[in-house]
Amino acid sequence: MKKNYSNPVGVSKYTGLLLTSPFIIGFLVFILCPFIMSFLLGLTDYDYSGSPDFIGFGNFREMFSNSEFRNSALVTLKYAAILVPLKLIVSLFTALLLSLEIKGIGFFRTAFYVPSILGANLSVVIMWQYLFTGGGLVNQLLELIGFSPVSWYGEPSNAMAIIVLLRLWEFGSTMIIFLNALKEIPTELYDAAKVDGCGKIGSFFAITLPMLKKTIFINLILQIIAAVQEFNAPYMLTKGGPLKSTYTMGMYIYDEMFVYNNVGYANAVSWVMFAALAVIIAAMYAVSGKAGRSVR
Amino acid sequence: MKKLPVYIFMAAVSLVMLYPLVWLIGASFKSNEEIFTSVGFIPKSFDFAPYLNGWRTATPYTMGHYFINTFKIIIPKTVFAVLSSVLVAYGFARFDFPFKRLLFALLMGGMLLPQIVTIMPTYLMWSFIDSDLLNTYIPLTLPSLFACEGMFVFMLTQFFRDIPKEFDEAAKIDGCGTLRTLFFVLVPCIRPAVISIAVFTFLWTMNDFLNPMIFVQQVKDYPLSLALRLSSDSTGQGYEQNKIIAMSVIGLIPSIAVFALAQKSFVGGITAGGLIE
Amino acid sequence: MCRHLIPKAAALCCCTALLASCGRAETSAAVRPDGNLDECTLRFSWWGGDDRHEATLEAIELWNELHPEIRIIPEYGGWDGWTEKINSQISGGNAPDVMQVNYDWLVTLSRDGTGFYDLGDLGNYLDLSGFDSETLSFGMINDRLNAVTVSMSGRGLFYNSQVYDRVGAEYPATWQELLSLGNTFSNYGCYPIDLDIQSGGTAWYLAVVYVQQQTGKTFITMDGELGFDISDIKMALDFYKSLEDNHVIRTVRQRSDEDGSSALYQSAEFIGGNVGGVFEWGSAIGKYEAVLDENVLECGPYLTDGNGNSSGWMIKPSLMYAISSSCAYPDEAAAFMNFLLNDSGCAEILGTSRGIPASSYARDELEKSGHIDGLSKQSTDMLLELDTITVSPYMELSRMKDFYNTAIEQISYGNTDTETAASEMYESIKNYLEKLKS
Repeated sequence: MKKNYSNPVGVSKYTGLLLTSPFIIGFLVFILCPFIMSFLLGLTDYDYSGSPDFIGFGNFREMFSNSEFRNSALVTLKYAAILVPLKLIVSLFTALLLSLEIKGIGFFRTAFYVPSILGANLSVVIMWQYLFTGGGLVNQLLELIGFSPVSWYGEPSNAMAIIVLLRLWEFGSTMIIFLNALKEIPTELYDAAKVDGCGKIGSFFAITLPMLKKTIFINLILQIIAAVQEFNAPYMLTKGGPLKSTYTMGMYIYDEMFVYNNVGYANAVSWVMFAALAVIIAAMYAVSGKAGRSVR
Repeated sequence: MKKLPVYIFMAAVSLVMLYPLVWLIGASFKSNEEIFTSVGFIPKSFDFAPYLNGWRTATPYTMGHYFINTFKIIIPKTVFAVLSSVLVAYGFARFDFPFKRLLFALLMGGMLLPQIVTIMPTYLMWSFIDSDLLNTYIPLTLPSLFACEGMFVFMLTQFFRDIPKEFDEAAKIDGCGTLRTLFFVLVPCIRPAVISIAVFTFLWTMNDFLNPMIFVQQVKDYPLSLALRLSSDSTGQGYEQNKIIAMSVIGLIPSIAVFALAQKSFVGGITAGGLIE
Repeated sequence: MCRHLIPKAAALCCCTALLASCGRAETSAAVRPDGNLDECTLRFSWWGGDDRHEATLEAIELWNELHPEIRIIPEYGGWDGWTEKINSQISGGNAPDVMQVNYDWLVTLSRDGTGFYDLGDLGNYLDLSGFDSETLSFGMINDRLNAVTVSMSGRGLFYNSQVYDRVGAEYPATWQELLSLGNTFSNYGCYPIDLDIQSGGTAWYLAVVYVQQQTGKTFITMDGELGFDISDIKMALDFYKSLEDNHVIRTVRQRSDEDGSSALYQSAEFIGGNVGGVFEWGSAIGKYEAVLDENVLECGPYLTDGNGNSSGWMIKPSLMYAISSSCAYPDEAAAFMNFLLNDSGCAEILGTSRGIPASSYARDELEKSGHIDGLSKQSTDMLLELDTITVSPYMELSRMKDFYNTAIEQISYGNTDTETAASEMYESIKNYLEKLKS
């Protein structure tokens, strides 16, 4: 079968291949090789000492009868479902705010990004404890406005909230990507909208959101991947507790890999996560109809 | 004065954003017990000993040495990541070629396996190639030359697509070749996104702990992120928290400075570099 | 079609070969000692805090003066991430020649005894006469000496004397006294001791001591057999529950609410004196001392049943040294290890940076110069008078700690009764130990 490549005149079908060749080489050596090894390890029982024992799909069978695996899958699902939409909204809102051309905006942009720079710094952990422990600031505020104090760290159904809040507070990178895209919207469009009698909010829905469709899609995908792989936030703040209510898949894999030295199993779980993410993302491409456009 | 409410709002949010940083600076002057019991940032007394001791470290090297090590990793890594990601993203966004769909799917796939499990095989690979490489920064920097950060390529690909094709055609009429078109016409259009990935690479590498932990063996080669954790031993007799905090305050300066310098470039785009002007 | 398959197949083969190289160090025969010291370079790795780093670097300098032909490259860091590093190194056949190792690594990295070099072959340069046979046996697996104990440590109770003065209570001497303290302390809104289910897992350890003393059984034997039956485990869980119910310790929920995920020595409740005691290894007590005023933390008696039975308390090797099974210069590594363990000049420099030395040569040297004192020594001295049980390395495995902590968290939250929790825990432990042995 002969295929036609719709390149501009004079551009060979290999130009693109040439340009992407760094990725192809790098992919084969630095990504594919570890990936295949990881997959093969997933079929073995290996604990760093001795050699890996091939056990076929034993790890996968064990996984589906393991209640801890089921729990971490549910926790991760819940976490991603709560965090991703909230984070997109917060980041977009902040990006709108920070795209204002007012004096001192540089300072605000930097200030708003500082949490993302701090990352896993000790100060963040301690700060969160001052906020959410029993007599912490949040509970004091709640009492001030007449609510009873809440058990944040100790109550399984609340602990997820403090992790989500941490990640919401670290919105920097998502916000930057929005900021990049916001300024690419031609101002003429807004002028035209004004002429048509659109208010600020009206033009946000009529112009900004549609123009940001692609960027929202990028951020959505990146945030889903990050949320499903989440490890650091619960590791820092709750250690997965109480009662494993914040024990995400990322933590589960980490523990099996490095704490329990259950290397084969950890790799097998990662591949299940890989498959789940791949299905979600493929579905998103299909639904958004972008699959065709983005690759052709 | 219409903007006053905006300023008040922004200032209030900034306070929430910056408080941990301010507290951190205060904490570098506090004793362990004060650190864990007081939320206020003003310490009981000011003593710069934690900074002096922190800078000196418990190793034969000063923090300056570890800073230089960090930059020896970060600078090549950032340059490599930007160049390779731009090239590859351009290829994906603008050209049609065999296996394109497959390759793009693989690119996405590369992001889906957590690093926690791929790092060990990667280590095995490097020690298999030549275990002496583990005494260099090659395992940390070289992969960036091959666009291994799928997220950047993915992001840039989407941004390239937003540039109208007419730009390429105009460039061609002006006699630009493929690469010239890329670097003189298209990259300026998405300058904010390109700078973003440079900044992301810088910041993430600065904070990255797991990779150097696995791939750097000797203390003389440690980057700052490892040096910061040299003193903390939760299994033993404990440690002076303020010294570690003082070190981390110093360690945050480059990241904040780089961001503050770069943030101007995050805005402005097509209109700044395109043909419209 | 075939054209594309070939590179794929090649890549696959390549990876399989790499995978097979996991643990290749073990399959290739270890280098035999040749009986003399050659010129070489050795890598020595340890984790720790500043004092340990500084002391060890100084000791290495002394070694380099004495043996310029055997150069030591130090590799060291904090505890975070250290096991990740060592595991990767061992898996890649690239382990340091001489390593500071943790007690439970003997099980995780050398279950059949071949994970580390057999130090028994290195008698020419490694003098073990400073260790009694029991101490040596801790490093023995399948008749191969995998590691040598650097220091021993016991887990004891330490109290904040200011809190006890304020409440007007004496340090408990029996379990009954401990339980009745809860009442006294509750009047002041504080707690006599704290037990955690984090990395320390002290909740389960204290319960085990109690049951070991009551029953004379050992929870897990040195070779990894479960000594408790379901009713013993239930007894331990019931004991834990009674501590909570009697206001001796905070519940898990309360603890999380007050401390978040912080360790006790970083908790405002402990620093501020709302929690009056801690159950900790003597080798790790310094960090609790440091956050209180000087000399406020005191070592308390080991609890007895009141009828003179003081058994059941536990000791373990807190740190060990091992030589990599892929070490190319075993004689030289042994000589260096000998220096670290026994040399009097080195002992002076290292002091107690790795705990009170287990080697009598080093310990005598330090006692002579008066370097051993403080809480750690007091608690060790008291332990020496008791009939102690050595913690099995199997008890210290992370997975086992997860079983203990899960059970305790479940009963603390009231999700199960101790009966069910005990039988679940029994099954989990039994299965896991069996799996390890197969």
